[in-house]
Amino acid sequence: MAQPSKEVRDVYGDYATLTVPTEELRSTLNVFMVYMGVLAVVAAIFAGSGLAQMYDPATTITVALIGNAMLAIFGGLIAYIGGSTRANTYLLLRYPLGRIGAMIGSLVVSALPLIIWFAVETWLFGITVNVIYPGHPLTSIAAASVWGGILMMLTAYYGFRAIALLSYITVPFWYALIVIGFFGAVDISGGFEALWKARPETIAPLGIGITYVFGLYASGCVITSDVARYGVKRWSGSIAWAAHVLIFMTVLLFTGAAMTLLTGSPNVIVAIAKIGLGVGALLLAILGQWTTNDNNLWSASLAWINIVGKLNKRQWVIIIGVIGTAIAAVWGGIWGMSLDPFIAFGVFLGYFIPPVGAVLIADYYIFSRYVVKRTYRFGPGTKYSIVNIPGIIAMVAGGLAGWAATTFGLKLPTGIGTLDAIIVAFILYLVLAIGLYKAGVKFEVGEWVERPTGF
Amino acid sequence: MSADPRKIKKFAEISIIIMLVLGIVTLGLAPSTGNYRGFYLSIFLGGVIVAVSVIYLPIVHTRKVENIKEVAVPAIQSLWVSTSMGLGYVVTALAPYFQIVLPVAIALFIIGWIMLIYGSYALLRLSKEAKVPLAV
Repeated sequence: MAQPSKEVRDVYGDYATLTVPTEELRSTLNVFMVYMGVLAVVAAIFAGSGLAQMYDPATTITVALIGNAMLAIFGGLIAYIGGSTRANTYLLLRYPLGRIGAMIGSLVVSALPLIIWFAVETWLFGITVNVIYPGHPLTSIAAASVWGGILMMLTAYYGFRAIALLSYITVPFWYALIVIGFFGAVDISGGFEALWKARPETIAPLGIGITYVFGLYASGCVITSDVARYGVKRWSGSIAWAAHVLIFMTVLLFTGAAMTLLTGSPNVIVAIAKIGLGVGALLLAILGQWTTNDNNLWSASLAWINIVGKLNKRQWVIIIGVIGTAIAAVWGGIWGMSLDPFIAFGVFLGYFIPPVGAVLIADYYIFSRYVVKRTYRFGPGTKYSIVNIPGIIAMVAGGLAGWAATTFGLKLPTGIGTLDAIIVAFILYLVLAIGLYKAGVKFEVGEWVERPTGF
Repeated sequence: MSADPRKIKKFAEISIIIMLVLGIVTLGLAPSTGNYRGFYLSIFLGGVIVAVSVIYLPIVHTRKVENIKEVAVPAIQSLWVSTSMGLGYVVTALAPYFQIVLPVAIALFIIGWIMLIYGSYALLRLSKEAKVPLAV
């Protein structure tokens, strides 16, 4: 495991281009709480609402469990790499994609999608506030998006400690309110008997729901290292990730689905407000979206630092936050209240981001370990290739395969678009990298020497 | 100059006991809420506070003061959950859904604020004196 030497300077903040030093490591519980803070978001319950339009409660649980088990394995493997190397996602990608390739990968994984995620979450925040307290200038969708975005920027601006602290404060309360909201919906809608009888007009095939669940959080899997690198044990991040996604993501999806099935409202916040939780519902939305969205900003700023190499983390937080908030305010003002962009974005993530994680897993666990016998090292003077050609090809091919499988019905191994994308990228990377290596063909092009700043 | 470890441990134990007592009080108010919804709310939030305090108090008590961080970390974990549930009472006690009779609702609301304010104070003090980050 590489540790930064004394000459290393953390000029960007939060070890954006460096490995985390030993004295900064946190307990497994702390890592778990940060992940839980990320999950504590209204979007997760909205996603459950989407499942309710496809499945009855029992099938929803099945679909959620299968999809989340896949997320637990996929994200857990990547988290372990972060825990072992103490490096974030964008540093790790320097090996399977090359230095410039890592910049492209960072754009695909975080830099661009997380700006959109931030905008979508801020927009949902504006909607939530407007639904619960309509009629005031400060609670219009556009206005609430603006002040909500500023709140989120503030906590992201103050870094990882602020995020961890915020997660710790809000998470127990947030989950308690979810439980209360769920039982409240059951209570006012005819009890559990009514819940188990509720179902949409038609039941969708399981594969569609599993793809939906997996695609929702596949992006999160790929950036698990950003938090796992702080874990005191190598496996801290893996355990924390698997536990939170398998148990709590399933609960959130089911809760969202149940509330929608029972109340008939696709907007679960409206459903919770209708129950009569009032201020509680508003806080639920504010705290949930706040903790997730400042994390989005924080991760996006790490990505942009690794791409551009200029400005520090806090400056990037402000830039990205202002762009995202502006998008949210305009989006909310022009397009009104629609879940379609959110769902479309979740599906989009399912195609193009997971192959990046698949290439990283293939390189770290197989190609680097058993073929070229190298360990991931970082620090000033470390040499990386400019571009790892098999990595780039596998990433693009995997994404296109997943997209074609879902959009055009291309027959691939599992029939689950996102999983097919991962399998294609994983296999293709190994075939190309091992084949070219054995044939003596140079496939890692150019050389980039790491600077004292880690860039 | 750093604080006396014995005083820190004593403060941690007293703080958890205060939360435990307040949690028991809210459990005691449950039958008086006047509605099954309020009853279950108090049982749920109060139950979490009492359970966490009962589990963590012996852990904190048996830890040796020589390593004060070993005392402060579980104390902070316990207080954080209790404080968070106190916030829960603040935002739910007066919500129309629970239909809690006004005097009891106000009592739960006030207790929630006490837990929130005292819990925050205790967390910050423990964190500062034991030199343990709040998020542990």
